[in-house]
Amino acid sequence: MELILEQVTISLGTQVLIQPFSFAIAAGETVTVMGPSGSGKSSLLAFIAGDLPSLLQGQGRVSLGGRDLGPLPPEARRVGRLFQDDLLFPHLTVGENLLFGMARGNSEERDARMRDALCSAELAGFEARAPHTLSGGQRTRVALFRALLASPHAMLLDEPFARLDADLRNSMRSFVFGHLKERRIPSLLVTHDLADAPAGGRVFTIGSGGKVAHD
Amino acid sequence: MRFGVAQSFGIGLVAFLWGLPLAASLAAFAATALDFAAWNSLLHHPQLPEALPLSLWTGTAGLAAALAAALLVTMGFYGTAHWQKLQTSTAVGLSIPHLAFAIGFGFLVMPSGFLARLFVGGSEPPQWVTAQDPLGLALIACLALKETPFLIAMIWSVLAQGDVGPALAGHWRSARSLGHGAGSVWLRVLLPQIVARLRWPIAIVWVYGVTVVDMALVIGPTQPPTLAVIVWADLNNAAEDINARGSAGAMLMTLALAAAAALAWLAVSLAGKKMRRFMTGGPSSFGVPKTSTTLLTAAMIAIYSLVLFTLSGMSLAGYWPYPRLVPDTVRFAAWQGLIANGGPVVLSLMLALTSSALALGLVVLWLEAVPARWDRALTISAVASLTLPAIAMASGQYRFFLELHLTGTQLGLFLAHFIPVFAYVFIVLKGPFRTFDPRFQAVAHGLNAGALRFWVSVKAPLLKAAIAIAAAVGFSVSMVQFVPAQLIAAGRFSTLPMEAVTLASGGSRSLTAAYALALAVLPMFAFLLAQMLGHSRWRLAWN
Repeated sequence: MELILEQVTISLGTQVLIQPFSFAIAAGETVTVMGPSGSGKSSLLAFIAGDLPSLLQGQGRVSLGGRDLGPLPPEARRVGRLFQDDLLFPHLTVGENLLFGMARGNSEERDARMRDALCSAELAGFEARAPHTLSGGQRTRVALFRALLASPHAMLLDEPFARLDADLRNSMRSFVFGHLKERRIPSLLVTHDLADAPAGGRVFTIGSGGKVAHD
Repeated sequence: MRFGVAQSFGIGLVAFLWGLPLAASLAAFAATALDFAAWNSLLHHPQLPEALPLSLWTGTAGLAAALAAALLVTMGFYGTAHWQKLQTSTAVGLSIPHLAFAIGFGFLVMPSGFLARLFVGGSEPPQWVTAQDPLGLALIACLALKETPFLIAMIWSVLAQGDVGPALAGHWRSARSLGHGAGSVWLRVLLPQIVARLRWPIAIVWVYGVTVVDMALVIGPTQPPTLAVIVWADLNNAAEDINARGSAGAMLMTLALAAAAALAWLAVSLAGKKMRRFMTGGPSSFGVPKTSTTLLTAAMIAIYSLVLFTLSGMSLAGYWPYPRLVPDTVRFAAWQGLIANGGPVVLSLMLALTSSALALGLVVLWLEAVPARWDRALTISAVASLTLPAIAMASGQYRFFLELHLTGTQLGLFLAHFIPVFAYVFIVLKGPFRTFDPRFQAVAHGLNAGALRFWVSVKAPLLKAAIAIAAAVGFSVSMVQFVPAQLIAAGRFSTLPMEAVTLASGGSRSLTAAYALALAVLPMFAFLLAQMLGHSRWRLAWN
């Protein structure tokens, strides 16, 4: 499944934050968009996800697997997201967080999928733990698997490694990108740190005047 | 532990002026539990078997309707461009006192009221029972309409709290990306996280609704009335045994509320497991009914506007035959009457200004001089005094003041206003003062500013919006005091709400409307003034 952005532009009133640009992200590929703070990187992801703040205006066409996402509400787009904060729901346990986005169905099968995911996240037996008892890396892994268990057709990564320390960042990068590649999910990463980009992946930069250029 | 002079002075003053009368009033109220003759008399009261369930029904139904409306409005407008604008409307609704609203609402829905003129017409007013109905529907509607802005404001203040707001906004986006519709995200993610912070506001609304006197006197059922009205009549009776029966009635209401609260807590605990299954059962596209929320919001704004319009129209109406939409003649007699008999207005203003000024001074002294660890005791006392039924507090206060020969005195009347005002002002100011960034003080000291200059030039300007709002809240709370004030005044003084209640039970409609409008407008002015005084360049920059 391919994520295609065509003539996408973001503006704040008359100020153009991102000039029109187009690219396609193939299944299993992670494309990186870089830019300084305030350049509109996160707004670009919000536009794709369908929850751009009302102050901003987004234009252009976003399609996923040939389906135009424009008319769909955020919950129907099948676009998963990872943020700088893990945003695990504090009133739910780790296991309940994983079940939250999983499709409805037989509860035993859902529980089994949840436990499998915990094994893959190297967190077997953590289902009853409260999110605040986990370390930063563990929380990021739970957030990733929570998103993956919702069966997204694309992933948007909003600086998900920014709050991790240097050692953990390296291991989490390969962990996240590895799982996305293995599941053939097209992903868009925004960051201001080139080191976050997957090795060999395409990198675009938002330059002065909001121009998006391929590095 | 070493006590500084300012610290001891702050604690001592608050304890003497607020804590002592409060504690003594509570003790005097608690003592009524031991008056078995009064209990016996109460339990044989012929109207009790109907009045107690009626009170619980009207208060609970009013709360349920207000809560549902507040949640729908919040769900409909959270994160939209209209979010800020609605906060202004909410503030206006919030500033109108319950009593003034009830009088205006009664006039609006009465058979010859503006609603019937607008929608029914005909040559004669319809034969409707629109107020004082036996099921208390008018009282429920009034409570629901009046409490909705308060609950919206409480929900919004939780959503705006620094430790919650940004996280909830993130959870909102995250849950939507996991396949949940807006309504589902509210029910499964946001509400479970904020409900614990809303329990006290909900409790206050519920207790108020079950035990309200002034609104019930104006628009509530009469055959029988709610228990609060029966208790009120007993407490106003000079005969000692009847008065004691009133105190026992207030105690019964308190115990009934405590039992009902315990039942509600048990039900919520039992439902907890099912709720967790509901929360994690998988994505749901359940959205927010946008059209319904927009219509509901528009209807509420329209009713509030019509209530104010009706009060204005009635206060100025000369000859206004049914079904004309505007009066044939305009007369200023009601306003002239209100000004000529200016005593109640002036007394209410004086009490509001002095009690809010003293409360503000004392609270600021406390927050500046007393360490934060002492706040817990004061917070518990303040919340307890506001959560307890006003009629129960008033009953205890009356007995205590009677012992001190303070009933019917200016000092007694002032204290009856000051006690609730202090509690509200403290609750409003505690957060802004205690979360004030201490690094500002360090920076100011580094720039050679002493303590006084730091306070005047840095802290006070940064907190002036909160101080102004606290003053307005204190002023409004004082303006609307009815139950304790009427008992303590012992017929020797009359304030604006006392006059309005008396007039509403059979006085001239235009004069009643004028008093109700004065009661509504003065707190609104206070909030408007607070908003103007609290307006800051730096807040604009941050927004």
